[in-house]
Amino acid sequence: MNAVHAELRKLLTLPSLRWTALLTLAVNVLLCLAYAAAGSRGGPTGADALAPLASSQAGFLAMGALAAASEHQAGAQIRTTLLALPRRLPLQAAKATALVVGTLPVAAGVAATVALVVGDSGRTAAATAYLVLTTVLAASVGGLVRRLLPALLALLTLYFVAGPLLRLRFGSSAPWLPDTAATDPSHGAAATVVWTLAALVLAAFAVSRRDA
Amino acid sequence: MSRVHAELRKLLGLPTAWAGLVLGVVLNPLVVLLNASATRRMIASGALTDVADLGLQELAVVVIGPVVLGVVVVSSEYTSTADDAPGARQLTTTLAAVPGRLRLLAAKGIAVVLVVAAQATVATTATLALVQLLYGDQVPAPDLPRAAAAVLYWVLTALLAYAITLIARTGVVPLTLLIVNSTLVSVSYLLTKVTDLAVYLPDLAGTRMFVRGRAFPVELAPVTAGLVMAAWVAALLAAGCILFQRRDA
Repeated sequence: MNAVHAELRKLLTLPSLRWTALLTLAVNVLLCLAYAAAGSRGGPTGADALAPLASSQAGFLAMGALAAASEHQAGAQIRTTLLALPRRLPLQAAKATALVVGTLPVAAGVAATVALVVGDSGRTAAATAYLVLTTVLAASVGGLVRRLLPALLALLTLYFVAGPLLRLRFGSSAPWLPDTAATDPSHGAAATVVWTLAALVLAAFAVSRRDA
Repeated sequence: MSRVHAELRKLLGLPTAWAGLVLGVVLNPLVVLLNASATRRMIASGALTDVADLGLQELAVVVIGPVVLGVVVVSSEYTSTADDAPGARQLTTTLAAVPGRLRLLAAKGIAVVLVVAAQATVATTATLALVQLLYGDQVPAPDLPRAAAAVLYWVLTALLAYAITLIARTGVVPLTLLIVNSTLVSVSYLLTKVTDLAVYLPDLAGTRMFVRGRAFPVELAPVTAGLVMAAWVAALLAAGCILFQRRDA
């Protein structure tokens, strides 16, 4: 419990994380307004009703990568962290829990805004869960790569180039991709959970094996 | 000259820059390849009216390479250099070697332009050659001015990323913003449904230099489109230069 509390305070006092959360919330509101305006002018809505999420999730990818990479910046905060909590797997669990608790309000805010615009509040919970899971996945990748920009580049390429392309070309791949659930929860929910758990396990394995 | 040479070597010494170089060269031909069978069907059924856009369209959509290069040339200067001295950043050393800040920015800009121009030439050639290979007689021979405009678009996009990173002093914001916007879920394109003015956004205006087929509320002539994007880049670069001169490193 102490460990989770400590990790949470570390996250909440990171200025870059706070800025990213604020930017994500602000940009999401603007996006929702744009979609609503486009919808009233006969633009793209309807089928991809949760469409703003597809763009807004970029903020959560950035938050996850930031949270994990901040430990590995110069100054190697991770060594101090390990001095305080030498058992690596409990530390990893505390980090994941703190990240979930920390991003939950932001994710709920974004999901509620999207649902409000779409007028489909039944999907708020699903969207919130998706965004939190995405953040955890991003943090796992950030912990594996240990550097912010490369991790973010990999995540953005996966979510914004590889995912859409694969769905466009091989429609049957949609249920297997981690980002399908952003716009189509009924098809990709399981994939999101499995990808996130796999990334978490891989990151935990790497943390327990690699030198800090 | 030696400053540009130094900046080129610094840029090409970054692993992330190489990731950007490789992604930029590989992704666009890959998009063409993945779309091939759907495109063939569309040509056969006559649904595709403007086949001259094939390939060029793909060059307009995924511009990760130039964005990464434009971002890391600045953001790498702001990361700490040593574990035991987290406050020490490469920028301090760089400025000790090149105290003239505008000269430094000019050297960096030239280095980015050179690398991205080379990358864009390779990517454009590969993409258009692949289109010729895949569709043969069904598409016209590549139009050289339009291919050159695509290269120019990539270079201007890199300078846009460079300018925004100078202003933001972190790579996260411009990298996320520009990659998300340049891919298949383009926010700029959504904005054209909200206001006609959105066609003057730098990325949309820039693509009008060489892509004709997409329907837009306001038609821009290729040269006008280029000038609009160049004006954006010039304004942001000016803002970035002023801030870089005024702020503590």
